[in-house]
Amino acid sequence: MDLGFFAQYLINGLVQGITYALVAVGFTLFFGVLDVIKFSHGDVLMLGAFTALAVFLGLDQLASPAWLSLIIMLCIGILAMGLLGALLCKFLVLPLKESPPLNTLLITLMFGSVIREAVRLFFPNGSNPKPFPALLPEASINWGNLNLRLDSVILIITGALAIVVTHLLIQKTRIGLAIRAVAQDEETARLMGIDFKKTVLVTFALGSGLAALSGISTGLYYQEINFSMGLMLGVIGFSAAVVGGLGSIYGAIVGGLLFAFLQTLGAIWFSVPAYKDVFAFAVIIILMAWRPTGLLADRSAERV
Amino acid sequence: MATNRVVGRPFCGTRVITMPDFKTKLAILLGVALSVVVLYGFLYLEREWEIGALLVMVPLGVYFLRRTNALTYYQHAAREMPRFTWISFVLGAVVLIMLLRHDDFALLMLTTVLLYATVSLGLTIQFGFVGVVNFSAVAFFGIGAYSMAALNQHFVFLPDLLIIFFSGAISALLGALLILPILRTRGHYAALITIAFGILFRTFLEVNDVLGGPQGLKVPALEMFGWNFGNSFPSEMGGGSFYVAYAIVALVLVAIVYLITRLIESSWLGLNMDSVRLDEVASAAFGINGPRWKIAAFMLGNCFAGLAGAVYAAMYGFIAPANFNLSDSLLLVSIVLLGGIGNAVAVIPAAFLIVVLPEKFQVIQEYRLLLFGIVVILILRFRPSGLMPRGLRQYFAGRFG
Amino acid sequence: MRQTVLQTKKLTVSFGGLKALNGLDVQLYEGEFLGLIGPNGSGKTTFFNALTGIYRPAAGSVLLHGNDITGAPPNKVYAYGITRTFQRLRLATSLSVLDNLIIGNQRNLNLGLWHNIFNRKSFKRQLQEQIQISEELLSRFSRDLAVHLFKPVSSLSMIDRRRVEVCRALISEPNILLLDEPSAGMTPDETRALMDELQDWRVKYPSLSIILIEHEMELINKVSDRCVVLNYGEKIAEGRYSEVSMEPGVRAAYLGED
Repeated sequence: MDLGFFAQYLINGLVQGITYALVAVGFTLFFGVLDVIKFSHGDVLMLGAFTALAVFLGLDQLASPAWLSLIIMLCIGILAMGLLGALLCKFLVLPLKESPPLNTLLITLMFGSVIREAVRLFFPNGSNPKPFPALLPEASINWGNLNLRLDSVILIITGALAIVVTHLLIQKTRIGLAIRAVAQDEETARLMGIDFKKTVLVTFALGSGLAALSGISTGLYYQEINFSMGLMLGVIGFSAAVVGGLGSIYGAIVGGLLFAFLQTLGAIWFSVPAYKDVFAFAVIIILMAWRPTGLLADRSAERV
Repeated sequence: MATNRVVGRPFCGTRVITMPDFKTKLAILLGVALSVVVLYGFLYLEREWEIGALLVMVPLGVYFLRRTNALTYYQHAAREMPRFTWISFVLGAVVLIMLLRHDDFALLMLTTVLLYATVSLGLTIQFGFVGVVNFSAVAFFGIGAYSMAALNQHFVFLPDLLIIFFSGAISALLGALLILPILRTRGHYAALITIAFGILFRTFLEVNDVLGGPQGLKVPALEMFGWNFGNSFPSEMGGGSFYVAYAIVALVLVAIVYLITRLIESSWLGLNMDSVRLDEVASAAFGINGPRWKIAAFMLGNCFAGLAGAVYAAMYGFIAPANFNLSDSLLLVSIVLLGGIGNAVAVIPAAFLIVVLPEKFQVIQEYRLLLFGIVVILILRFRPSGLMPRGLRQYFAGRFG
Repeated sequence: MRQTVLQTKKLTVSFGGLKALNGLDVQLYEGEFLGLIGPNGSGKTTFFNALTGIYRPAAGSVLLHGNDITGAPPNKVYAYGITRTFQRLRLATSLSVLDNLIIGNQRNLNLGLWHNIFNRKSFKRQLQEQIQISEELLSRFSRDLAVHLFKPVSSLSMIDRRRVEVCRALISEPNILLLDEPSAGMTPDETRALMDELQDWRVKYPSLSIILIEHEMELINKVSDRCVVLNYGEKIAEGRYSEVSMEPGVRAAYLGED
């Protein structure tokens, strides 16, 4: 295979990988503070994309320039999903804190299915795929077999930037310190005067905002969104987080890129495109059996 | 002071309400008759206001029965004579099938209820007893269905009854592929593995032409005991839709699976499973081998799903990947949750509600997944033990507490 | 010379770089009541977890009657006749007292499919036997508690739950009983009552050896034959409580902590 093809696969895989990593970071954050998995994460992502689409359709009436539309879409999409994440946490996740983990898992799973169904039923013509506006510059460079689209580059950089900002937020700010403290030990954090509830809500808002961002970038990249896109992205993002090691941001990045890499590999090896997911998931299941706590995280044994 | 207290005698630890035998039996039969009438009403009535009226009357009736202590009396009766209760309900179901024998659609719904209840009993063992999550119940149901289709195609000489058993076994064996990853991981991780497996299963069917690809496969009607299940009953036999035979097969299946589930629950096997779910570390400290029980429960539950899937495939005569979605797995989980996790009896009314109501209310048919989602969220939030919460463990009828 | 039942040699458990137990040598004699004391975090519970197979020792060995059982999984350790209680109670609270006790008597249960599912008559016999054993055991500890045999553990008071947990550990008639701070969450009177009950039990089964983790020094003084003092995962003293408590090292470890 020549270098151009290789680079093309690399770039495509990178766009995918960054999207997965953004979703995985959310899973990792929730798991860190509350030891829960928010299975509605993928559907929040989808709703973020649809919210942005609705905002765009509204702005289109006002003939707003593309760059302004994009910024407003991003802001509203991210904020709305952040709010939704916090509400979900406050009304559905925190009240179930003392019940068996299965219940939390189910309630978020069902919440996701409610979002999905609501979009399918109530978004105008929601059961069909929706065209998503191409708001990013469409320029591209051809370099042998490599077709480098400018929008891919922008999406990779934006995604990477979002992850770096999240990382800095957690490492350098006061609220980040609170998040880390709660993740370390809830009891002690409470004793140190950290507002546990607020910290958890902020974390959920943050993670859900990231999901909205990845939803919108997926829309911008494929120029199409549909009501069930969150299901697959959610499962992939979760797999990425788990394989990387839940609770670790680096793990989420590694996991996201790894999954995209596996899919690309699967696409090269198998003639039937659908096999790429079968391949990637099969490898993930094997990896999980081999390293149950993930590639990077090392959670110590259960306290007795 | 304390020493003067009478120590509870063996077997008399709980207060025993002794009832004369015939009264107990009468109470049970009345309960069965009432259930048959209500279910018949739900299946027979067609206008939405009629169903709506029935739907309002049932909770009122339950409330009334509870207020007059009839419900408690009935529960005691059923605890006292579980075998009699079981037989009465099976016979009651036969009566219900006979009453509906000309109504294709009602029988189809009823059979679907019974098959879904069978799968839900498998889920009850899996996460009600031993605590292993399974969000790919429909994949195992599908494996059973596809095994039925494939075995029928390639091994024509095999009797159908044997094929049904094989389908269950294949389901259990393919499920065994997931055992290692599930055992090595905990809680949420195991959930992911089953979800991923469900997606894998569907994708695999869609891209693989050997099993019909997206178009699916045709499945011939069952042929058992010299009877072709595709035929409707001739008028000299009293007439009746061909679905009657499937309904009877599904009834036999669910009755046996229910019996197995209850026997497991009321033995050391069930005790150990409960113990593993409640605290695996403490269980291990008392010699309970957690993985062993998880494997047993997981395989048995998937076997139930496979058996039900085989009958389902034969009844519908046609299966395709689109029949086996994640949302259907969630539907099955909803059944278990709505009934009350771990309560084997509860899956039957719950399956009935979840299968029949949307069919009857065409208005909600479109919205059914949305509504189930909301209902399950409300249940989890406000009544996590379900409509019929599981009671204390019981080993034998009545007095064994 | 009394017979040694359990012996650890240079037992070491580490979490990452931290050595929670460091080269611990402990001997337990037949019929002995050994107190295990030391400040918080000194590795007492870790020692139990290493003995019962919940943690895998990084080095060293555990000998039971001279046989090496190092690293045996928990269910094996139980089969060897070692049972324990947990510091934070780990009963199945939604199950009845009877069920919890039967769980403890696992090694005397017939788990065969035939026995459990098909031959319900023989299962019933075994159940009746278990009920009788449980009732006798409970009434030995508290006659009041025996009445609650069929009630869920969640309906019991703290001391009764402790009793059930101790009974769960005793019902299989183990050779070695590990008690992890049974006084936690109980009043001194309740603890004393529990210990008196335990002493009665020892009269009946003189070969039972007990290791007790305890913070109440008075209790240790009263019931234990001998003490081992841990600090930072190492043994800093050993002997009768009256001697050990005078040692400057032990006093420093405690005073430094409290």
